[in-house]
Amino acid sequence: MFDFAFKSIEEAIYMNGHGIYVWIVVTIVIVCLISAFGHYKIKLRELKKKFNESD
Amino acid sequence: MIKKFIHQFASPKTYLFQVNKFYNYIFYISISIYVLSITWGLLFVPEDFVQGNSFRIIYLHVPASFLSQSLYAAMAIASVTYLIWRVKLAAYLIIAIAPIGAMVTFIALSSGSIWGIPTWGTWWQWDARITSTLILFIMYLGLISLHGSFSNYEKADKLLSWLVIVGFVNIPIIKKSVDWWSTLHQSASITLTNKPSIDPSMLYPLIGSTIGFFGLIICLVIISSKVQIIKRESTKSWIKDYV
Repeated sequence: MFDFAFKSIEEAIYMNGHGIYVWIVVTIVIVCLISAFGHYKIKLRELKKKFNESD
Repeated sequence: MIKKFIHQFASPKTYLFQVNKFYNYIFYISISIYVLSITWGLLFVPEDFVQGNSFRIIYLHVPASFLSQSLYAAMAIASVTYLIWRVKLAAYLIIAIAPIGAMVTFIALSSGSIWGIPTWGTWWQWDARITSTLILFIMYLGLISLHGSFSNYEKADKLLSWLVIVGFVNIPIIKKSVDWWSTLHQSASITLTNKPSIDPSMLYPLIGSTIGFFGLIICLVIISSKVQIIKRESTKSWIKDYV
């Protein structure tokens, strides 16, 4: 169950021609999650800063 | 009694201070589970007999599809709570969840389309499952822009709640679309009533990635709701203690 499914790293990247689809999806998910967390963290920091300045 | 209970424990102040205690635990546990499960699924699970390696997209597509519908269901519950008991926190949660729901639905649609190229030979097909999910995505976007177009928050919350409830009719349609209509999309491999039709070596990382993704989305909802609460409760004296 925990054996590496490919013979080499190159094969894991290529995935018999399917690697392009798989890694694009991985990139989309990572970009979406990082942007969302970043966006809300920045927004929260700005709101707190604004609140403290007006106080 | 229910009203008293809800108002006591679902006040924005209690919520804000309580979620802060759990946020870090949820975040670090979820990200660990997600990264481990995705790595397991992408690199250690054997190749699928029919779909080859493209089946590995399942570990990213299924959690997103599941969450896209679950988040809308959560918005519907919050809408009912807001309309019946006038709980402000519920109204804040609706608008906090909507952008995250849109993002998760975008992931589900894009990953599904990319998966469709090697599997079905097409990235798009106007079949019931894909079309109803696209409608869900448009609904999320519509709710966000509608709420943003109002200057009166109370009016916006009320209208949004009603629209979310009306739009909930799309969720069972998405869920049952593969059974009711002939579609390219396969039927559910995992159900509550039947034994999963997926091999355990492929199933366990899928469960892990779904739990991990669920936790990460909960974290996003928490931060997004904090933004909403600070924005809307800025005149309250207790906000100073928090900020």
